[in-house]
Amino acid sequence: MGASSQISQRNIRKRYELERAKRRIEILPPEGVPIHFEVASLGSRLGAQLLDLLITHVGLLLLFLLVIFNFSVPFSQVAAFFILLTFALRAPYYILTELVWNGRTIGKRLSGLRVISADGQRLSAYQIVVRNLMKELEVFLPITLLFGLGGTSGETRIFMIVWLLMTFATPFFQKRNQRIGDIIAGTYVIALPKTDLTKELAQDDGVSAKRFEFTPSHLEHYGRFELQTLESVLRSQSRVPGLEKREREVVEAICKKIGYLEPVRFEEGHTFLSEFYTAQRAFLEGRSLLGDKREDKFHQKKD
Amino acid sequence: MSDTNLSASGASTLRSARFRAEREGDWKRLEGLVRKVESSGVRSLSYHDARDLAATYRQTVSSLSVAREISLDRSLLDYLDNLSARAYLVVYAPQGSVRGLAAQLLLYGIPQTVRRCAMPLLIGFGAMLLGGLLGYALFEQDTSWYEFLHPGEMSGDRSPLATREQMLSSLYDPNVSFTDQLSAFASFLFSNNARVALMVFSLGVLCAVPNFVLTLYNGVLLGSFYAVFADKGLGYDVFGWLSIHGVTEISAICVACAGGAQLGLAVLMPGSLTRRDALRYRGRDATKLAILAVIMLVVAAVLEGFFRQLVQSAETRLLIGWGFGAFWVYWLFFTGHQAEEGA
Repeated sequence: MGASSQISQRNIRKRYELERAKRRIEILPPEGVPIHFEVASLGSRLGAQLLDLLITHVGLLLLFLLVIFNFSVPFSQVAAFFILLTFALRAPYYILTELVWNGRTIGKRLSGLRVISADGQRLSAYQIVVRNLMKELEVFLPITLLFGLGGTSGETRIFMIVWLLMTFATPFFQKRNQRIGDIIAGTYVIALPKTDLTKELAQDDGVSAKRFEFTPSHLEHYGRFELQTLESVLRSQSRVPGLEKREREVVEAICKKIGYLEPVRFEEGHTFLSEFYTAQRAFLEGRSLLGDKREDKFHQKKD
Repeated sequence: MSDTNLSASGASTLRSARFRAEREGDWKRLEGLVRKVESSGVRSLSYHDARDLAATYRQTVSSLSVAREISLDRSLLDYLDNLSARAYLVVYAPQGSVRGLAAQLLLYGIPQTVRRCAMPLLIGFGAMLLGGLLGYALFEQDTSWYEFLHPGEMSGDRSPLATREQMLSSLYDPNVSFTDQLSAFASFLFSNNARVALMVFSLGVLCAVPNFVLTLYNGVLLGSFYAVFADKGLGYDVFGWLSIHGVTEISAICVACAGGAQLGLAVLMPGSLTRRDALRYRGRDATKLAILAVIMLVVAAVLEGFFRQLVQSAETRLLIGWGFGAFWVYWLFFTGHQAEEGA
């Protein structure tokens, strides 16, 4: 591999990590350790929104159908009344749930999303009211007007279409996917999944015997990035079918790179990777204690 | 879990593994507490829980700081990042008090805002008044303006060509059923008032010009509409017909315009703030004006949809309409002086 392609490979990775860091929300608490929040993806926000719509509208819709089929009232009048009812129900639902559950509607709770204040402080009632009233203005009222209640004129339709396009486009162009209501209220929507503490992979108590021996000459090739890639391979265990074959490929790639000559039997693949991981991590930790932080396998070349 | 075996069988040779084994208990404890608060609120914590929450939170955040420095274990870092973020929100962004927020807003927030927003309100009501006078003057000068301003209404009951009797009956029509009123109520609210108010408010952000023009235009329509009837000597009747809901509805549109103007002024004259900050700052008042406009529009739609048909005499219509007007003035200008505004 040529030096220039190595550099570009590294730059791509760096740019990717930078991009990720830029999208992250960083808040500095009094403890002085920056806390990171992950911006919620637009897909998951849409999902939460649909769930909320389901919750607020299904009951009304059933009631509506019941009235339509059981009483002889003109469709348009009942429709008008029910649309009115949805307006009376919707904004209060969002505002109340976000007030009571601290920035989480039921849909957001189920999708692991949450609204936080941009300054990291407690979410104020004002912020919640604004972002949800703006949601009415941004989306629901224009849609109702677009599909015409009480004779909407052509110009109004065009205005509403332009308006809707604008409001839907805004989150795509915002660094942190804020919609207009979020910008005005000063809020972010974050994804807050429950992450479990996984098992420690480095199984080295310094006592039990090792199947494989690694010398410093084997361990000086890789850096943090490769170690963490190996970690993801080891952690993916039982989930992926055909894992053994994949592990075999990794074993071969590693042996070739580090010049490990002793043969590794097929059924020993996992043990090899696990022991190599432990040895490599111990080695890198030792180097970093001496001030030599190795980001990736290109650590010997300075750019 | 194997972690416990690990710590039991003696220290690992890896510094990061020892680091984890020593602190894992605290993290687990914090995770349990955070989970508890997330599902059932801070109040579910006992005294000991609350004390542990503070202590384990600080320990975990300091672990995070160390782990970012020394740990190469991606999943451990992710776990600590996530746990610290959740715990941070529990500690620093707890649930606010919900009780009394609406009362606070109605009793103090909105009246105080209205008194504070003299300039935008002047713009809103000024535009409407100016438009009304302009519309009236235009019609007086040349009746064909009406056709230009109200296209499609030339053949109806409310045009310069209609007879006095036709126009009179359009103002007084007692034969309306309840369901008609209901749908009339809904369509008034959506097709007309809400649309105008929404446009007037949201366009304000474009330097307060479009909302001024739009409000002015609404004033012109209104002025010319009044002029048609006044021309036939029905000025008093149409005044009553308009007053019953119009006092509230037209004021609501003016208030929406004022809210838009508030945003526009933030863009035009941000002062020492950046435009974004100015928008956010003035947005607080604009929002309250918008809420006020919504309240007034709903009241106006009730008046227009139900009472205008129920009440058939011009005097009662005037009384109801201006009675509401007096109520708004009293509420917005003479109440809510005492407490500091919090909501």
